[in-house]
Amino acid sequence: MLSKATAKQAEFQAESPALEAWRMFRRNIPALIGVVMLSVIILATLYGTFFYAGDPFDIVWAPQEPPGMTPEFPLGTDYLGRDIIAGLLTGGGPTLAVGSAAAAITMGIGITMGALAGYYGGWIDNLLMRITEFFQVLPALLFAMVLVTLFSPSLLTIAMAIGLVSWPQTARLTRAEFLKIKQLEYVTAARAIGARNRRIIWKVILPNALPPLIVSATLTVGVAILFEAGLSFLGLGDPNVMSWGRMIGANRDILDAWWPVTFPGLAIFFTVFSVSLIGDGLNDAFNPKLRER
Amino acid sequence: MSSLLEIEDLRVTFNTRYGEVTALDSVSLQVNEGETLGVVGESGCGKSITALSVMGLIPMPPGRVAGGAIRLNGEDLTQASERRMQALRGGEMAMIFQEPMTSLNPVFTVGAQIAEAIMLHQNVDRSQAMRRAVALLDRVGIPSPDQRARDYPHQLSGGMRQRVMIAMAVSCRPKVLIADEPTTALDVTVQAQIFDLLNEIQREYGSAIILITHDMGAISEMADRVAVMYAGRVIEEARADDVLDFPQHPYARGLISCIPALGKRDGGATDMLAEIPGVVPPLHLLGAGCAFADRCAARAPRCELEKPHLFAHGHHPVACHAVEEGRL
Repeated sequence: MLSKATAKQAEFQAESPALEAWRMFRRNIPALIGVVMLSVIILATLYGTFFYAGDPFDIVWAPQEPPGMTPEFPLGTDYLGRDIIAGLLTGGGPTLAVGSAAAAITMGIGITMGALAGYYGGWIDNLLMRITEFFQVLPALLFAMVLVTLFSPSLLTIAMAIGLVSWPQTARLTRAEFLKIKQLEYVTAARAIGARNRRIIWKVILPNALPPLIVSATLTVGVAILFEAGLSFLGLGDPNVMSWGRMIGANRDILDAWWPVTFPGLAIFFTVFSVSLIGDGLNDAFNPKLRER
Repeated sequence: MSSLLEIEDLRVTFNTRYGEVTALDSVSLQVNEGETLGVVGESGCGKSITALSVMGLIPMPPGRVAGGAIRLNGEDLTQASERRMQALRGGEMAMIFQEPMTSLNPVFTVGAQIAEAIMLHQNVDRSQAMRRAVALLDRVGIPSPDQRARDYPHQLSGGMRQRVMIAMAVSCRPKVLIADEPTTALDVTVQAQIFDLLNEIQREYGSAIILITHDMGAISEMADRVAVMYAGRVIEEARADDVLDFPQHPYARGLISCIPALGKRDGGATDMLAEIPGVVPPLHLLGAGCAFADRCAARAPRCELEKPHLFAHGHHPVACHAVEEGRL
C-alpha cells in the first residue's frame, strides 16, 4: 500500500508543464504524423542533394519530359528542360528558411508590440494598437509585393516583408493574453517581492502566455510558406534561388504539362499540412481542458 | 518613540464611473518591531487597500494617494520613487496573499521562484540562491525540501503553497510582513499551523506583522493590537483582548457577537447565528454621516449628519457618537 503510494508520488513528481504537454502531444497520432512528415521533408531538403546531385537551373534534358519516361529524371523536366527532382530538393531549403524566418520575425514584432500594449495599457496601448490596426488594414499580399519590389527581392527581404505584413495577428493575441494574465494574483505577488516591469513582462507573464503563441507560431510558418510561394509565383522571388513557389510560377503558362507545377505544389501542401498538424497537436497539448482525456 | 511603520491620515481615492470615491479616509495605524497588528472588518472595508497602499501596489490610475503619509523607519513611502519601492518590496517589507492557489507562478518550480525573490535583493548566484530556497522551505516546515523545491505549484496542497508563499515573503528577512487573509482559503487545521509558523517567524526575525483578516479567531490567536475598519475608516483601535472583551463601537460589538461559540447553547432550541443586518454601503453612496448609521441600533439624528472621529475613550479609541455621548 505504502509502496503504491510512493510510486504514485514518484510519478507525480518532476512533471513540468512542458513535459506534461509533451506527454499529451505524444498521444496525438495526427500530430505525430505531422512531425514525421515534416522531418522527412526537412531531411530531404537538407541532405537530398547528397544522394541526388544536380543543379536545378541546369538544362539537362528535353523540355516538358513527362514523369516516368526517362529513368534519369523520374519526375520529368520543366518547360526549359530542367530536372524537377533537383528543383524540389534544392527548392525546399529556401522555402522552409523563408517560412521560418518570416514566422520568427512575425512572432518577434507581434509579441513585443502585444506585450507592451497589454501590460502597460493606457496611451501606450492606444498608440501601439493604432499602429497594429494600420498594418492590419493594409492588404497583406499587395503590401508585401510593394516591399519586395522596393528592396530588391532576396530571401532576407522576402522574409522581412512577410513578417512585416503578418505580425498584427500575433500582436493582438499577445495583448489579449497579457490583459488576462496581468490581472492574476501571481503577477501582483511578483511585484510584491520587488520585481521590475521588464522582469514581470518577460519572465512572469510571457512564459504563461506562450502556449497559444507557440501554436500561432507554427501556423504562421505554414502561412509564410504559402506567402513566399505566392510572391515567387508572381515573379517576386529571389532570382538567384530556386524555391517551390518559383517552380510553380515559372511553369504556370504551360497548360498541357501538369507535372512541373503539381510536384512543387504537393511539396508545399505536405509541408503546410504537417506544420498545421503539429500546430493543432500543440494546441491540444497545451489546452488543460483536454488534458483529462 | 516612533513606530517601525506608521500610517498617518492616509487617504486613498479611486476614479470610478461614479466619480472619485474615497477608499481609505484618514486611516492612521502604527506597528512596532515584533508586534502583530490585526486589521479586521467585512469585505470592502479597505483592509486590502491599506495593505496594498503600504506596499505601493495600488493600481494608479485609477487609484491615487490623496493625502497622508506611510512612514517606514521615518521614510515616507508615498513620496518614494518606484525604484526605491522596488528595493523595499520583498526586501524591507513583504506580503503574503490570500489565495496560495493563484499567487504562485504556475510555470516555474517553487524553488526557482523563491530563489528569484532572493536574487532580486541579494547579491548571490543562482546555485547559492537555490540552496537558500531549500533551507527556507525546510524552515517553513515543508518535508523533504530539496525534492519539493523542484515541484511545480500545482503539485502542492494549499497549505504547502501558503508555506511556500511565506518562505518567499521572509526570504530577505523583511521588517514588515503583511499577511492579507493568509488562511481564508485553507482548512481550519492548516490555518492553525500557518499561524504557528507566522508566530515562530516573528519571534525569530523580529518582524512586525500586519494581519488582515475577518476571522476573529485569528485575531485572538495572533494579534497584539487590533484596528477595526469600516467603509475605509478605522473605527476602533485597541489591544486585542480589549477589543475582544470590551468592544465599544456597535460594529465591533456586532463582529464579536457574530463569533459562533461551540457547545454554548442556553435554551433548548438551537441558537441562531448572530448577524449584523445589512451590508457595507458602496463607497460612492457614503453620505455626510457615520457610514454605519444605517445598520446601527443606536442610531441618533447626529449620526446621519456628522462623521464621528476617533476619540480617547475609557478603554481605547473609538469613533462613535453613541459611545461618546454615553448612550452605549
